[in-house]
Amino acid sequence: MSTRALDGTAGAQQETVRVVIVDDHAIFRSGLKADLDPRVTVVGEAGTVDQAIEVIARTRPDVVLLDVHLPGGLGGGGREVIAGCAALLGTTKFLALSVSDAAEDVVAVIRAGARGYVTKTISGAEITDAVFRVAGGDAVFSPRLAGFVLDAFGTAPADVADDELDKLSARELEVMRLIARGYSYKEVAKELFISIKTVETHVSAVLRKLQLSSRHELTKWAAERRLL
Amino acid sequence: MTTVPVRPPLVRSSDRLIAGVCAGLAAHLGWPVRMVRIGMVVAALAGGAGLVFYAWLWIMVPTADEAARRDARRPASPIAPAVSAPTEPSAAVGPSFSGGTYPHSYSPYAYPAGVDMNGGDTSAARPAASGMYDAGTSFQLPAAPAAPGSAVPGAAAPQAGAWFRVQRVRYGKEILLGSGLLLVAGILIARQLGAEVPLGTLIPAAAILGGAAIAWMQLDETRRAGVVNKTKADQAGGWARLAAGLALVVAGVLVMVSGSGSWEQTGLALLASVAVLGGVALVLLPWGLKFWRDLETERAGRVRETERAEIAAHLHDSVLQTLALIQRRAGNEHDVVRLARAQERELRGWLFKDPAKDAGQLSDRIKSAAAEVEDGLGNAVDVVSVGDTAMTDRHEALVQASREAMLNASRHGGGPVSVYVEVSDGGVDVFVKDRGSGFDLQSVPEDRLGVRESIIGRMKRHGGTAEINSSADGTEVRLKLPAAVAENGEGKS
Repeated sequence: MSTRALDGTAGAQQETVRVVIVDDHAIFRSGLKADLDPRVTVVGEAGTVDQAIEVIARTRPDVVLLDVHLPGGLGGGGREVIAGCAALLGTTKFLALSVSDAAEDVVAVIRAGARGYVTKTISGAEITDAVFRVAGGDAVFSPRLAGFVLDAFGTAPADVADDELDKLSARELEVMRLIARGYSYKEVAKELFISIKTVETHVSAVLRKLQLSSRHELTKWAAERRLL
Repeated sequence: MTTVPVRPPLVRSSDRLIAGVCAGLAAHLGWPVRMVRIGMVVAALAGGAGLVFYAWLWIMVPTADEAARRDARRPASPIAPAVSAPTEPSAAVGPSFSGGTYPHSYSPYAYPAGVDMNGGDTSAARPAASGMYDAGTSFQLPAAPAAPGSAVPGAAAPQAGAWFRVQRVRYGKEILLGSGLLLVAGILIARQLGAEVPLGTLIPAAAILGGAAIAWMQLDETRRAGVVNKTKADQAGGWARLAAGLALVVAGVLVMVSGSGSWEQTGLALLASVAVLGGVALVLLPWGLKFWRDLETERAGRVRETERAEIAAHLHDSVLQTLALIQRRAGNEHDVVRLARAQERELRGWLFKDPAKDAGQLSDRIKSAAAEVEDGLGNAVDVVSVGDTAMTDRHEALVQASREAMLNASRHGGGPVSVYVEVSDGGVDVFVKDRGSGFDLQSVPEDRLGVRESIIGRMKRHGGTAEINSSADGTEVRLKLPAAVAENGEGKS
């Protein structure tokens, strides 16, 4: 699984990003730390839900790399961590990280407030890029997440392109389709003759719809679709 | 096959007169069934030793169905399909398991199990059941397999044996009934002739024996029910049989105890015994209920245990084997990545499989094609699918074209390949993208059939289109199969 949608220019100008890694496997945490770019400073680590909430509140990082499945707390895993840090959501961004790419996990953590979702098999460079992108306020969509979105919202465009939460606009659909096909943001921009900034705007809009849509089918869809 | 190194396991045959003990014993010992039966009757006449022996075997020896079921549950079966990857892993793991040590000990077990479940009571299946280890020959020579190394003289004997068997089994119950009637007639004649026959004990004893036999046969039926899936009607019949057996035994005991045979006394005794039985039942009921509940929880625990064992077996056969392989090939990065990918895919499929979802849909097929390409060439092939549809001939062509495109992308792109499948009302779109240096379609030689024939030509023949977009940043193959043409195409063919 790779997230090639991530290369590009985002955050390249930014100096450093402070990051907290939350994962219950110490081996994975140290491996990830070694893989990350020097511009990414790891200011804290946590292995359980309660530990994570405490560390995040104390260190106030820019980005939290958050495993979806975590022990402790009430059993809610990554979702519970985000809920526990709700007050910080304005300044701290969450990037979900998981071995599971089951739809219910992905959709649950995105709806809880994560700005993106990547699988653990992606390379250190890609993850660094995703961290900068999320820190810069953008959303990170892997091809698989784009596929989930298309599956959940349907592939028919909304009739009215205004603020409808339950459907994607024709343009957003196009962007999602290209990301699902493995295009990077830059390539999407080139293909659609729009700027990268516009692509980012569309992706963020989709993320917002994914988070805010009250469409009950979305939850139902995610619960039913246990297979990726 | 001149010597028989291993005897067939001792099971009660479904080729039965009473409980299949004699036939099973004959198969086990390699003797003719007739001889065993005659011997058993002779032994029974000798002070009842045969009866005791028969009853003992009846209780202790499982039926062929049960034995087959037990064998079927052995972890033998999950081993073979566990490592699903067709190339590297299975080639390396496979032989040590399925090809090497035990190949022949699995298949013979599998054979009788299948045969028995489908047609346990047809006469065609019987030879197979009694000749466990001779799955091959027993179909042709019904009576031979039991005695390849024993004293059966010639080819004529098995033939005759088979004929007798069919005859006897067909009229088995009638013969039993007839001999019973003959016995009764003999006793009556003996009485007429003045011989002293203790009818007062003989009749109740016969009733007890008959009732017990009926009840025990019922036990066999319920044991078999798990395999054959009895219907409700059969169960009702079973209860009737149980009741009949019980009534016979109770009546026999009563008559024997009351001795005289007068109806008033019998009625009194009946009343008394019913009262006693009721009292005992009342006392034992709570204990019995507790026992029943314990049994239920224990059974549930066993089910969980079986599940656990199944998971453990699966992990052992797949994950642990792969990990062992990875350690041995730690030096070869390419192999390690490939093994890890294949194992991850297999485990994911096993863990997250949605039982409600139909198997063999289009997205499944594309994913398995991607898995093949991935195993073959070692580059990751990621499939994202939206929507799904059932397979048709045209979809088959689409899968083949996609596979060809993935092969090309993996071979020439040299990096990970992205595949996107979208099924909508308008049709199916498949996109295969790589990040290689790209190529010019015009410069591909005429004789290279890969792209031109397998992808473009194939899609055209099935009413679809193929478009190849190549630049320095990579190549994307776009396949489109409209749904509207699908109906026309199907109408024509």
